[in-house]
Amino acid sequence: MVISATTRSAIDAEIAKYPRKRGALLAALHLVQREHGWIAPEAAKALAELFEIRPIEVMEVVTFYNMYFDRPHGRHQVRVCTNLPCSLRGARELVHALEQHLGVEAGETTADGRIHLGHEECLGACAWAPMMRIDDTYHEGLDAEKAKQILDSLK
Amino acid sequence: MPKITVDGAPYEVAEGRTILQALDDAGVLMNGVDIPHYCWHPKLSIDGSCRLCQVEVEGIPKLQIACNTPVQDGMVIHTQSERVEQARQGVMELLLVNHPLDCPICDQAGECKLQDYAFEYGVQHARTREPRRALKKRVDLGPTIVFDQERCILCRRCVRFCREVPGTGELSVFSRGDHSVIETFPGEPLDNDYSMNVADICPVGALTTKDFRFKIRVWFLEDVPGICTGCARGCNVHLGVANNRVYRYVPRRNDAVNETWICDEGRLSYARIGADDRIAGHERREADGRSLPASIDEAVTTAAERLRAVIDRKGAGAVGVLASPHATNEDLFVVRRFLEALGSSQSGFAVVTGRSDDLLIQPEKAANAEGCRALGFGPAAPLLTRARGGAISALLVLGHDVLATDGPELLETLRGLDVVLLADSHHSELEQVAQVVFATRVAAEKHGTLTNHAGRVQRVAPAVEPAFEAHAEGEIVWRLGRALGLPGFEAAWDPRAVSKALSEAVPAFAGIDLDSVPPGGVPKAGS
Amino acid sequence: MQKAPFVTSYLTEHTGDDAYATLAGYRACGGYEAARKALTELSPEQVVQLLKDAGLQGRGGAGFSTGMKWSFMPKGNDRPKYLVCNADESEPGSFKDRLLLERAPHQMLEGILIGAFATGAEKTFVYVRGEYAHPADVLQRAVDECYAAGILGANCLGAGLRHDVVVARGAGAYICGEETGLLESLEGKKGQPRKKPPFPAQFGAFGMPTTVNNVETFSHVPHVIAKGAEWFRSFGTEKSPGTMIFGVSGHVKRPGLYELPLGTRLDEIVFEHAGGPPDGRKVKGVIPGGMSMPILPASQLDVPMANESLRERKTMLGTGGVMVMDDTTCMVRVGCIITYFFRDESCGQCTQCREGTGWLHKIMQRIERGAGAVADLDLLLDVAGKMEGQTICAFADAAAWPVQGLLRHFRGDFEEHVKHGKCPFPESFEL
Repeated sequence: MVISATTRSAIDAEIAKYPRKRGALLAALHLVQREHGWIAPEAAKALAELFEIRPIEVMEVVTFYNMYFDRPHGRHQVRVCTNLPCSLRGARELVHALEQHLGVEAGETTADGRIHLGHEECLGACAWAPMMRIDDTYHEGLDAEKAKQILDSLK
Repeated sequence: MPKITVDGAPYEVAEGRTILQALDDAGVLMNGVDIPHYCWHPKLSIDGSCRLCQVEVEGIPKLQIACNTPVQDGMVIHTQSERVEQARQGVMELLLVNHPLDCPICDQAGECKLQDYAFEYGVQHARTREPRRALKKRVDLGPTIVFDQERCILCRRCVRFCREVPGTGELSVFSRGDHSVIETFPGEPLDNDYSMNVADICPVGALTTKDFRFKIRVWFLEDVPGICTGCARGCNVHLGVANNRVYRYVPRRNDAVNETWICDEGRLSYARIGADDRIAGHERREADGRSLPASIDEAVTTAAERLRAVIDRKGAGAVGVLASPHATNEDLFVVRRFLEALGSSQSGFAVVTGRSDDLLIQPEKAANAEGCRALGFGPAAPLLTRARGGAISALLVLGHDVLATDGPELLETLRGLDVVLLADSHHSELEQVAQVVFATRVAAEKHGTLTNHAGRVQRVAPAVEPAFEAHAEGEIVWRLGRALGLPGFEAAWDPRAVSKALSEAVPAFAGIDLDSVPPGGVPKAGS
Repeated sequence: MQKAPFVTSYLTEHTGDDAYATLAGYRACGGYEAARKALTELSPEQVVQLLKDAGLQGRGGAGFSTGMKWSFMPKGNDRPKYLVCNADESEPGSFKDRLLLERAPHQMLEGILIGAFATGAEKTFVYVRGEYAHPADVLQRAVDECYAAGILGANCLGAGLRHDVVVARGAGAYICGEETGLLESLEGKKGQPRKKPPFPAQFGAFGMPTTVNNVETFSHVPHVIAKGAEWFRSFGTEKSPGTMIFGVSGHVKRPGLYELPLGTRLDEIVFEHAGGPPDGRKVKGVIPGGMSMPILPASQLDVPMANESLRERKTMLGTGGVMVMDDTTCMVRVGCIITYFFRDESCGQCTQCREGTGWLHKIMQRIERGAGAVADLDLLLDVAGKMEGQTICAFADAAAWPVQGLLRHFRGDFEEHVKHGKCPFPESFEL
């Protein structure tokens, strides 16, 4: 079973909101990714069947958006905004500090699969730079020490 | 009907068409009115992304893409203004920013729209100094196609083709921005009955067919118009010919027949022309069973002697002809005349049938079954029943489709006849039972017309010469008629005279002769 | 994230109060009375006219008249009509919609309800950028409250209007802020903008007539209805009435949100409200309206923040994201960040955009490395020129304009790089 019954019923609830089934595809991908951590080809096939589209149409969507992964991607998604307002206030230095702390480069996952560290474009927290997004939560007004502590607390 | 003006020339165009569509309808696109384009294709949905077809429309400040701008009455369009030329140059330069510029080792060279348009509309030297995008080379997309991601200009014609024509949708653009690449889904290759069309519509050397890759540089090829004979559709093709050899078929646009497409099986059927199993010259069988090569005169003389013997003994009604759906209308007309002159009504034809679809592929796997019917040939079965019953003693068999339709007992039936004459292009078991075997020409080797499944009469003409002695079925039968002294066969063989006689004698072909058939064919009367 | 802007006006008056995000709290401040008035006392035409009279312009970047936009929706109900609320706030430097979603969701929903009444739309899709998980959750709670209270659903406010609101979530793509890219995304596809024609008012979401408005735009609507056009015009300039929430970021002492009348001078925002640059530094340049808008040098900050005046300085109001750079800043590095962003976010359809954004970034990096030539400066402008005005959507323009702006005002920075073969700004932020 690629998609669990719980996820499946959550997808059905999303489908009910749209005049055409496919409107719920983005929501469904979020749900499936929450369950599996990424969108595997088997999951894409299962969704394609559910949405009555081709698997490749699922994958073209997966690869278009930043938030979906077409390969395993670590337990926690840590994204430091490095767009202009954040860079003006030390975001790049923060990334370098976290790279050293985790022993990976931005764009990589720690060996234990705990954290994927990455850059991200503007997250709408410009006044509280630098900042990072961990999964669905924003952490604003950071310095390197604070950020490292937050990362260390991740399971 | 809206009237528009393009570069000063007036056009009356259909309602609801875009500028490119309207010019394409008028037959002037890239044929008088040059609006270069990549993503637009007359038989695919409008994409509007390559931006090369921008033109100036009076009254609209920005340049407009001709592919997606609907025509309006009174529209005044400029396709060659300085602004348009600058925009084109801009697009061309940008398309080349990441292009590998590997023309010397690219098989598309010579028929590459990037090469052509860069020369015609582009800038003369590159201003990029950075490394170009490094992507996948020689990707095996499936059984027929090889893909070079670096050469791709992302016009998405192939993606739309797979979705809109065969409906299989194997291809898509993954990722975005300048990381965009064409991909297939893991484990699901590009594999459909029409897959090789993507190589035709790919404007660059990104998609090439495994079959044609590196066989020959295209500038050595002559494009000879012809017809695919793989099924009753009669798809229009260009035969790529060099050194008296056909290297490929590519579809030739005919909106009434095949639009711009051809099926893979038909496309690859060019190989039948130069195949090793061609019957390479006429043969006659000695009394001791040995087959010996024969000139046409020797073969005809032998055949006529055999027939004469049967006619003398049993009457002309004991002679039958099994016509071929691979023969031309003209060939078949000669057969009909032959039977009439002989005084026999014993005829029929067999055609192999197979898989079909609702796109192009027709169930009858021959180019001219409809021509057989139009010229009065009925099914083979009654003829063969009569042969089995002893009413027929001599049979002239054209082609070997009957082997497939009539099964193994056919050979037994034929063995029981006094005389079997075969005229065929490719080897088959029928040769074992024939006293004379005539080597015939295939459609790419002769003049004539073919009637497709819908009754459209289309022209074929010699693109190559067989490397051995071979004759059209019509000529063989004509020579037999002469040798037998049949009335009406006194003159020497003349395909044009036959064609003229056909158009005069058979109402369905009234007004249609070799010289009058237009390149796109013409429906026979009543079709 | 601050709960209320440093300077508030009618939009953000109550956002400091946590209860304002709840239905009860919003109602306590007079919430949904404007919608009640519209639905029970006004005709749809009167609502549209009121917005036209007020001169409300979209706050999502393009600044188009909201009343006009609503009037483009076809009349009659032969096909379902939709509203879309663009909550895909991703313009770098912009963070106002996030405040409105998190702190004042009902204000926006009330605007939506009035819009539904005025346009005859049966459903609104609020498309929230995927990264805004918390704002989307807050909004969903507010929507649920509205259904429970009969404000949304089969009989909105008991006035006989049927309207549904769906909260849709994006998945990380700047281009989905472009209205037709958003519509594609809403339909579960790649967010690639649509070629026009057809236009959304005829063929929008799911093929139906659709109007797209920004979060802040909808949030203004209840105030216009409740207090009238004249009141609205008492804020801002004649051509640009009302307030706008400006987000100030970068090298200032008090970065944050400020709700100020349109037409407030940029230097007032930067120096008086946001406190100016850190002590001992000077302002070098300011991007006035989000990253797509061309930068202004320190000498040109005496400009009212309204399109009619910003246009004279070859820039625009955009989303009101004010990014301040002090005199340590290397403008070529700024160029690298800007061009990287547009390269990363181009949807990749149109040739000029896909190839141009990448090329601009490569040239910019080359110059920053010190490997650039003098000719590269004009090459940047030439490439930007080839991208401008020639693509399906305005993204390519948005990628070209800031490059043009940087070279217009800071060509010296670029020339220094070329001359010295390295970056001459040792104190600048890192890349």
